[in-house]
Amino acid sequence: MFASPAIIIFSIFTYLPFFHAIFLSLNVTNNQGEAARFNGLGYYARVLGLDGTGRTDYLQSILTSFQFALLVVPPVILVALSLALLATAQVRGIQVFRTIFTSSIAISLASAGVIWALIYSPSTKATTWLVELLNLGTPGLLSSDATALPAVAVMTIWSGIGFNFIITLSGLQAIPVDLYESAAIDGANRIQSFRFITLPMLSPTLLFLFVINTIGSLQAFTQFFLLLPDRTPTVYVYETFLAFWGDNRYGLASAMSIILFVILLILTSIQYGVLNRRVNYS
Amino acid sequence: MSVLSHSRRGPARVRYNIIIYALLILASIILGFPLIFALSLALQGPVPNPSLLPRDLTQLDWGVFLQVFEQQPQIIRWIFNSFVVASGVTLGVLFTSSLMAYALSYLKFPGKTLLLFFALGSLMVPFEATLIPNYLLVARLRWSDSFQGLILPFVASGFGVFLLRQYFLTLPRDLYDAALVDGCTRLRYLWSILLPLSRPALATLAVYTFLTTWNQFYWPLLVTNSTEWRTTQVGITVFRNFEFAVFNIQMAATLIVMLPTLLLLILGQRQLVSGLTAGALKG
Repeated sequence: MFASPAIIIFSIFTYLPFFHAIFLSLNVTNNQGEAARFNGLGYYARVLGLDGTGRTDYLQSILTSFQFALLVVPPVILVALSLALLATAQVRGIQVFRTIFTSSIAISLASAGVIWALIYSPSTKATTWLVELLNLGTPGLLSSDATALPAVAVMTIWSGIGFNFIITLSGLQAIPVDLYESAAIDGANRIQSFRFITLPMLSPTLLFLFVINTIGSLQAFTQFFLLLPDRTPTVYVYETFLAFWGDNRYGLASAMSIILFVILLILTSIQYGVLNRRVNYS
Repeated sequence: MSVLSHSRRGPARVRYNIIIYALLILASIILGFPLIFALSLALQGPVPNPSLLPRDLTQLDWGVFLQVFEQQPQIIRWIFNSFVVASGVTLGVLFTSSLMAYALSYLKFPGKTLLLFFALGSLMVPFEATLIPNYLLVARLRWSDSFQGLILPFVASGFGVFLLRQYFLTLPRDLYDAALVDGCTRLRYLWSILLPLSRPALATLAVYTFLTTWNQFYWPLLVTNSTEWRTTQVGITVFRNFEFAVFNIQMAATLIVMLPTLLLLILGQRQLVSGLTAGALKG
């Protein structure tokens, strides 16, 4: 049967682990990751702050994750849109600039994280001016409560520009030229054609990017591992890593990952709704 | 396609071009700043407090790119590991995806729709939700620090199955029927006719898979313990933990491991872009 290699791999490394994670999330586990005692929905109550102890640290980290997404998503789309508009200019050598604007998709989060860690490091003095300007009273942007999350967001925005740029550019290129031509004949200026042609025609692409980027931001791990390893409270996925890797609490960490699955599932269904609308437009 | 290209002539056109180029160059410098910064730090020698840009452009230390290999000989092993893992995953994904996509687009059998949902459903399960059991499985099989532990979990891709199935469906079905009438076996048709015809889709899937695997961080971090089994992405981060850690070596190493994917971007830009555009579906 031709499909069997894929089916076997999907079963062993996607579906069985997924059900295993659900099973683990309902149990207290030992250090080897075996279920030791049935715990019901105890861990879910703990994460969502419903276990009666009043501890809301994990709930707080979910909020921090959404806050992080809010810091990343609108700016990255705005920057990408501006660059894409700029890159539609018909001048010689534009392809070189398009490649430069796309290049961050080839740079891994790990490489970006290592470089930005030094940009933010007090020893390189690259951002000392900003620390002094904001009067933070800490040696670097990453050590201040006020700027740590925005600093990671800036790095993530930089990292995401390439992808968002290229998607927005193909969205712009898909808009029929005759729309602009007839608008120009009707006397529309550039701002009017942007407002009444570009934006509406591009809105499915922008909505799509909004959801995709939100999902990606909520899953952010590498940049927090590299830039803010010791910081608490941190984002939800990094908290999950600490529970799993740091404390070997496999049951708790599994419950956390299943909750993440539900959050992402909701966002993904919104994404498919958006995609369907996209199909209707074209 | 051109929002910014209202036609102009003469001096207005020149002025317009100057403004556009100025904006393009300004944007490139801002976006390129982290890379310029990394190169600047790499070339300044082992100083504890490097400046933003080299003070003396005649004293640049290009030898740093060789020193990386002297100070951390393991980096050659890391690059080798990353190549083996990224190639292994890419070949595996091409193999499993084309077989399954073939079954889903050409063959008739009961439960076909169910099987399609089985492949697409894997896209709904985020990596994080299977991470812990997969780690426990790999640890139990004693696959930590091994190629199979780094490769096998990723050799099936719902995105790959979907992409190839869509492409296979665009190819003429008559060709398949005619070949079978002429006595061609199903496997032979896949290998000798369908796959060569599908080169654009296969190239897209290959470039996309190679890039995302090369850039993986979380999984290799978990399943590699000894230094020699690190992949490049995990490897470059350990430079920070060395006592003799100096910025120039660290930045040079980071720039070195970036090269393969930057080259891939420049050479395979079309494939990569169509892969990313389609891959965005998977969320």
